[in-house]
Amino acid sequence: MITINDITVVRDGREIIYDYSEQIPAGSITVIVGPNGCGKSTLLAAIAGDIAPIKGTITIDDHHPILTSPAKLAQIRAVAVQNQSYTLGFTVQQVIEMAGASAQVMEALELTSLADRQVTALSGGQSQRVSIATAIAQKTPVLLLDEPLAAQDVHSRKRIIELLQKLAEAGVTVVVVVHSSESELAWADKIIKDLL
Amino acid sequence: MKKTAPIVLLIVAAVAAISVGSSQVDGFWSVLLNPGSNEIVWQIRFPRVMAALIVGAALGIAGLMAQGACNNAIAEPAILGTAAGASFGAVIGIATGVVQVGSLGALACGAAGALLATSITFRLAAFRGALSSFNLIIVGIAVSAIFTSLVGITSAVLNRADARSISFWSLGSLALVTNENLLGIMITTLVGGVIAWFIAPMLDRLSLGDQSAFHLGVNVSRVRFLALVSLSLLAGGAVSTVGVIAFIGLAAPHIARFIYGPSHRALTIHSALIGAFIVLVADTLSRTIAQPNELPIGLATALIGAPILITLVTVKNNVWRTQ
Repeated sequence: MITINDITVVRDGREIIYDYSEQIPAGSITVIVGPNGCGKSTLLAAIAGDIAPIKGTITIDDHHPILTSPAKLAQIRAVAVQNQSYTLGFTVQQVIEMAGASAQVMEALELTSLADRQVTALSGGQSQRVSIATAIAQKTPVLLLDEPLAAQDVHSRKRIIELLQKLAEAGVTVVVVVHSSESELAWADKIIKDLL
Repeated sequence: MKKTAPIVLLIVAAVAAISVGSSQVDGFWSVLLNPGSNEIVWQIRFPRVMAALIVGAALGIAGLMAQGACNNAIAEPAILGTAAGASFGAVIGIATGVVQVGSLGALACGAAGALLATSITFRLAAFRGALSSFNLIIVGIAVSAIFTSLVGITSAVLNRADARSISFWSLGSLALVTNENLLGIMITTLVGGVIAWFIAPMLDRLSLGDQSAFHLGVNVSRVRFLALVSLSLLAGGAVSTVGVIAFIGLAAPHIARFIYGPSHRALTIHSALIGAFIVLVADTLSRTIAQPNELPIGLATALIGAPILITLVTVKNNVWRTQ
């Protein structure tokens, strides 16, 4: 269970989230949806422990992300960022194995054939799938994904959603940020719309 | 073959380097097998060759730490101000009469100067928010220029033979290294190398960006600080003993990366081996090519390392993608 209690988050001197409270149930898929600039990625970053709210608290079970050490936090939540960039020519398998075992998740996200390819040579959609796979390989009880479907074709979107549903059934708390242009959200257990 | 070749090459090059010089050594192989039997070989050439190997290894790993900590392809001790800071620390220590060139004290002063200058670069580069590569390089060049000027002024004012010349501090020389000097640089290189080995897996994750490294459990500021300590010990130890030898910190990690891939743990070993090889060959050339004169080693390292780097970048340029 993720509990967001009356938080205000400021970024670059601007109040992005104001006096916001929410509860995200464990073992389910929660989708945060909204237009650009509504604060959905900021909320995800605050849950991830990237940004500290100036007011209020966020807890993942009993842990406060901003008060938890990076090593401990990496056992609690994993994050797939929206635009992952790679500078060094590690292979897809090497990058995923920085987080954990790779074989199963590579197969689930159809990355096995790309295992030995350098991440610097991937397309946008492939990079995004590697980022998702890396987060899943971390095997944490909470999985936070920022626009994971944005650069995917219909087939890949279906595979990703099916995988997220399986993870939720297995008890993982999945939080997914999607753009408001995403019309089909029947796969979500809970939808958060009104951030502003 | 790919793994053993550098070690074999290094041993052959080291023996060849000990065998050549301005004086002919009779019965070279028997002298080599009997330590201390010949003064030229064991008191002059041996410490010089050993220093070339250790300094080259130190600068190779130092470059790797600079590039890994900054996640930037062109970061190296000379660009971040580390090398100039090391020179400054050593020169100040010598000028005040506290330490002598090549002593453990000079190494400590060099490492402290290196850490000071590199810390200033990082602090100023992050002055207005997040640490950007662009700020880091621009500020590093400026900090380096300031410390280089201070070294030049101090050396000129000092006018003492034992304080070494401006040319020594800016282009480097292994000519005055003795067996006694080796212990100090061995210690700084070993400690710096062990830190590099320890943080190498974290530097792999740091290459994904600070945010992703944090998501994977890396304490980014702590790893970056440890990389700076390693860098300062390695570059500070080397520079305070033999002056600034340009280009090794940039070229050795890149050459290693092109051949062996991006994993920092493997690169720690291979950057050291390649750095040692280039410095050894460069020093041997610099003392034999224009006899009886000796060229500053920095000229030779650039002439050897640059063409190799250019060739590798031209042939295979997908190892490091710049944004």
